[in-house]
Amino acid sequence: MTTAPHPYRVTPLRVLRSEWHKFRTLRSTWITLAVTSALTTAMGAGLAAAYDGTGEGSMDTVLFVLLGTQFAQINLGVLGILATAGEYSTGQIRATMTAVPRRLPVLFSKAAVLAAVALPLTLATNLLTFPLAQSFLTGTDQAASFGDPGVLRALAGNAAGLTLLAVLALGIGALVRSVPMAIGVFIGIVMILPEVLAVLPYALVDDAARYFPGKALEALTTAQPMPGTAAPGAALLAMALWTTAVLTLASAVLRRRDV
Amino acid sequence: MLTAHALTKRYGDRTVVTDLSFTVRPGTVTGFLGPNGAGKSTTLRMLLGLDAPTRGHATVAGRSYAAHPAPLTEVGALLEARSVHPGRTAYHHLRALAHTHGIPRTRVEQVLGLTGLTDVAHRRVKGFSLGMGQRLGIAAALLGDPATLILDEPVNGLDPEGVLWIRTLLKSLAAEGRTVLVSSHLMSEMALTAEHLVIIGRGRLLADTTVTDFVRHSGAGATKVATPDATALAGLLTAPGVDITSDTPGTLQVRGTDAEHIGRTAAAHGIPLYELTPGTASLEEAFMDLTRDAVEYPATLQGAAA
Repeated sequence: MTTAPHPYRVTPLRVLRSEWHKFRTLRSTWITLAVTSALTTAMGAGLAAAYDGTGEGSMDTVLFVLLGTQFAQINLGVLGILATAGEYSTGQIRATMTAVPRRLPVLFSKAAVLAAVALPLTLATNLLTFPLAQSFLTGTDQAASFGDPGVLRALAGNAAGLTLLAVLALGIGALVRSVPMAIGVFIGIVMILPEVLAVLPYALVDDAARYFPGKALEALTTAQPMPGTAAPGAALLAMALWTTAVLTLASAVLRRRDV
Repeated sequence: MLTAHALTKRYGDRTVVTDLSFTVRPGTVTGFLGPNGAGKSTTLRMLLGLDAPTRGHATVAGRSYAAHPAPLTEVGALLEARSVHPGRTAYHHLRALAHTHGIPRTRVEQVLGLTGLTDVAHRRVKGFSLGMGQRLGIAAALLGDPATLILDEPVNGLDPEGVLWIRTLLKSLAAEGRTVLVSSHLMSEMALTAEHLVIIGRGRLLADTTVTDFVRHSGAGATKVATPDATALAGLLTAPGVDITSDTPGTLQVRGTDAEHIGRTAAAHGIPLYELTPGTASLEEAFMDLTRDAVEYPATLQGAAA
């Protein structure tokens, strides 16, 4: 037993380092990230190669090329849910909260780590997928280039939206504390609910539904804003607010509830 | 020093711990005993700030666990339920915990060595046996070189070798001057390792005593002798290792020798005996007597005493 006072203490930066260590030392992390990236690129290239120049003419070209990010939404969402709810199902949370009994730095560090990985990954994937898909689309009505208006913004907007969505899912995981339940809530509220609402014959509901995360992400992914969708800036703001709201709620619950 | 100040914990309308106060003195092994469901784990979770008490509070060295700038250096804990992600290796599990406090890698390697896990450090926890899992839990508890250790049912489900390892470890930790609070539902286990006992049943304090006093008052292993010449017989039986007490005039409780020796001694000196009853009560039975009314789910049929 050492008698000298310990130089050890918990700091936010150290908690961040710990969460990064946890994130990178799980095999599932890297598998999920690789699958996310590969699916987006493969689907973009596949759809573009199969495109016969008709049918999808009304679809925005970036939205078309990035159709594979539908899987990315779920994959990255699940990754976020595993980071929080996964700790409850494995029991790891008890070790985590015993080391950092103030609790909140853990949640914020998890969100920061996920965002710091998801944003560059999705951005790089999008910047790779777009030219790859476009190489099959020359001469069709879906042909476009980085220089076209809105293209870069939509590629980056999609990456930002996916990242916010992943952090939102992480917040849901912290709230619900069960992996299957969190996935259910995430898919139900984020993906299915806005689709259902959009069908309802009320203008007000329809207006509100376009600011739901799934719809807002779609609006963010278009180079040319489509009628009936939110403007890109408003869509990004809406997504940021959704994510902030869920994280705020998750913080309040984390502070008060028993582990 | 760990202190529980009038801790009460309610889940809905179920009260798990009621007005529980006790102090764990520094530098001793304190056994925290109670039947299953007595509220031991809940109490330990409240000490560690994992569960918030409904009323009362718990302190570690004078303040709440969460208020310490480096909690892992104050208290190391092994909780009953597994607290490890099965997909991570033992080494990375400990490294991640160490990072929160700025504990260096050398210390991680040290605790892996102390717990005999060096060879399996880079295997995923998924494949660990119960015993290896317990060792990893203890490695995590020792990470911050804490002055106090809390171990919740550390021998539960372990094979004899694992049980022996835990016993030896507890003794060596105490010998290093650390405070150890170890919970168990087995009195016999505690009698081997603890000096002090905090016994609870149905969330209430039943006894806060030393093992020596508990044994003395339990009558465990004592032979009851009734004789009109108690003083003379007591004098004849007195020898090193023999403990004689007298509750009522004319009866003796004798420990450290057997009924045959007492009978022969009495006969040799012509002392009449009215009763000579070998003590059969074990420590375990004394503990069960104390907690009988406090067992969560008592068996309707009292089985043959062990």
